[in-house]
Amino acid sequence: MPQDLPVDPRGPRFSAWMTTVILAVVLLTGWWRLLAAQTVLFAMCAFISLKLNPWGHVYRFAIQPRLAPTTEREEAAPLRFAQGVGFVFALVGTLGYATGLTTLGQVATGLALVAALLNAAVGLCLGCEMYLLLRRYAPANARPQ
Amino acid sequence: MTGVWALVGALAVAGALAVLLKVREGRISRRTTPSADLPAPVRELLTPGVTLVQLSTTFCAPCRHAKVLLRDLADRTEGLTHAELDVTNLPDVTTRLGIMRTPTTLALASDGTEILRVGGVPKRDSLLDALRPHLP
Repeated sequence: MPQDLPVDPRGPRFSAWMTTVILAVVLLTGWWRLLAAQTVLFAMCAFISLKLNPWGHVYRFAIQPRLAPTTEREEAAPLRFAQGVGFVFALVGTLGYATGLTTLGQVATGLALVAALLNAAVGLCLGCEMYLLLRRYAPANARPQ
Repeated sequence: MTGVWALVGALAVAGALAVLLKVREGRISRRTTPSADLPAPVRELLTPGVTLVQLSTTFCAPCRHAKVLLRDLADRTEGLTHAELDVTNLPDVTTRLGIMRTPTTLALASDGTEILRVGGVPKRDSLLDALRPHLP
């Protein structure tokens, strides 16, 4: 898995706001193809590189130049882990909507939205906070190394 | 229509969680864990004074903020030392210590007795006040 360099922490916050909007649209419309696209985006960021996140590029080119510079940096590993958690919820949500299990789709999408909104609004990474719990109850062969 | 309720529910849950986690952030809890129960990787970090053992993981974003704060506090306080332990691959340690989240910071006496623990990024002043009776 390629390593990402530490990033300006305001970039992931912007990305989390965009994810929140997308997930809210999915909940309101039930448009599962949009959720499927978000699932692919989560997967690319979690398993390949954060550089593949288009919201990161929007932030760098359209927003960052308008903000005061910062020396603060955030490590990539927690961000990628959070994207992985988002991927799981979004995948379950997509499968739920696509197979007619709408309630499952709504619950999974709602949980992903909660995590994205907490990240965007207060900078809290719910998946990272729950890492120890997830690890404790994850099957041995599914634990991150 | 159920989508609207699902959205409202998600927003309510997010709001409640934000308040709950904000209240719990940096909260000090006192417990007296016997030193005999201390896992070896933690025991190895003990110093003659009070040791702040910060338990972190690779996936913990606020651990870096906690490290900066605790290191500075230790540098400025006599008898206080800061050490960080990466528990990403040490689930037995977190299970034995009953730790559910990172960062969690343990304040340990030189014999390994737990003085207190802090969940999340500590609040500098309240932590120092709580530690003062145990410092020279």
